[in-house]
Amino acid sequence: MAIEIQTPSTWQQYRTLLGKDLRREFRTREMLTSMGMYALLVLVVYGAALSQTSHSFDILQMSGGLLWAVIIFTSLLGLNRSFAHEKENGCLDGLLLVPLDRSVIFLAKATSNFLFMIVVELITVPLFAFFFLSTSPADTWPLIITPLLIGTVGIAGIGTLLSTITVNTRGKDVLLAVLFIPLIFPLLYACVSATTVALVGGDVEAIYMNALLLAGGYDVVMLLLSWVLYDFVVSA
Amino acid sequence: MRSDRLSASNTQVDTQGACRYALRLKDVSKTFGNRHAVDHMDFDLPRGAFLSIFGPNGAGKTTLLRMLSTLSRPSAGSIELLGIDIKEHPDQARRHIGFISHQSMLYGDLSAEENLMIAARLYGVVHPEQRVADMLDAVELSHRRLDLARTFSRGMTQRLSIARALINDPDIVFLDEPYSGLDPHAVEVFDELIASVRADRTFVMVSHDLDKGLAACTHALVMARGRRVYFSSREDLDRDSFSDLYRRTVGMGVS
Repeated sequence: MAIEIQTPSTWQQYRTLLGKDLRREFRTREMLTSMGMYALLVLVVYGAALSQTSHSFDILQMSGGLLWAVIIFTSLLGLNRSFAHEKENGCLDGLLLVPLDRSVIFLAKATSNFLFMIVVELITVPLFAFFFLSTSPADTWPLIITPLLIGTVGIAGIGTLLSTITVNTRGKDVLLAVLFIPLIFPLLYACVSATTVALVGGDVEAIYMNALLLAGGYDVVMLLLSWVLYDFVVSA
Repeated sequence: MRSDRLSASNTQVDTQGACRYALRLKDVSKTFGNRHAVDHMDFDLPRGAFLSIFGPNGAGKTTLLRMLSTLSRPSAGSIELLGIDIKEHPDQARRHIGFISHQSMLYGDLSAEENLMIAARLYGVVHPEQRVADMLDAVELSHRRLDLARTFSRGMTQRLSIARALINDPDIVFLDEPYSGLDPHAVEVFDELIASVRADRTFVMVSHDLDKGLAACTHALVMARGRRVYFSSREDLDRDSFSDLYRRTVGMGVS
């Protein structure tokens, strides 16, 4: 029985790979559960750490930093897992044997990581606001959505590249954090600035916009770099 | 086994019909730091041949197989697969390759059908549903098509892994220690299945099992310390002297 093969489009291959990751995750809920639980535990620790502060202490001033600390540590947990299941049973080799552009693997994996992080943020951010923003944030608070989106895109992109690099190493959990946090620092700094200004208020136009430009520019450069380097990284 | 379902008759990938050789290696080396995992390897393998690769642990067999299957790039030398330079055109070569390993390359949390469907779509099989159904039928797993791959026994996993490797109807199939972890019955089933898909395909197998490797092969390669110690066609091979050579080679160890 003859079979017919037509080179699939990049879009078709991307959809197949992304669909595979989503289907697998929604069946096992492995990453979402572990990331969600971890985020909740960090919030509990925050609660304990901040329970003895005086009433005059304005938590709003540091809320941007605290929120991003939860997001960074939670995403590290998810990123560590994202390639681990590709290594089980040699599945990554199975993908590399297929005639497909390696950057498609990167894009699909980065997209699934982004989506999982967004789901966790949708739970974490309201909880964070409920428990820790006792004083009312500024009217500009809805503006935190943009730095959250830009930051999550960057974390998912760079994190996917780094988790591919570290997946074969012995101390991959530690190594990912050691590489990831210094590399992500400019993005983190910009996102914390933009989030804090949006929550506290003040010179939103100058600080917020500059921070977003820095974060957006960082995302574009790093994502393009990750895309270009991915073939080399995944085949090494 | 339903050999008709698995028969090698893919007209789409038969673009290299004029090429006599399935594989041509010229001075191929792979180094990791200062260590030569594969050292100046040369050989030509005709189309339709079955090459068994023997050697002690660390001889470079798997490294060679990974280079031949485009999973790893040679540090030096050239490899032609059906006349395609795999360094220059790896994606073109990948269309012709199937790979069966002791690792299943299957997602345990996806069903048998889903695993095959992903592979079929990535390769661009035109009627993936039909092809997947045919392949599941061929490896006699149709009744388990909706079960998760992680619930399968080792033998069933290996059969599903064969179906996955052959989903694109490859011209060359690489087998990396495929008997590893299989019980005698599963080995028998595996042999039957491989025999049923033999047809015009070329096979390259890495194995520690001398009897199985020799029984199947048309060509034999013995490696030690990354080098070719022996390469011959089966007709020119004297079993006694080959066994002797193999024992001496295994005794040489890795370094």
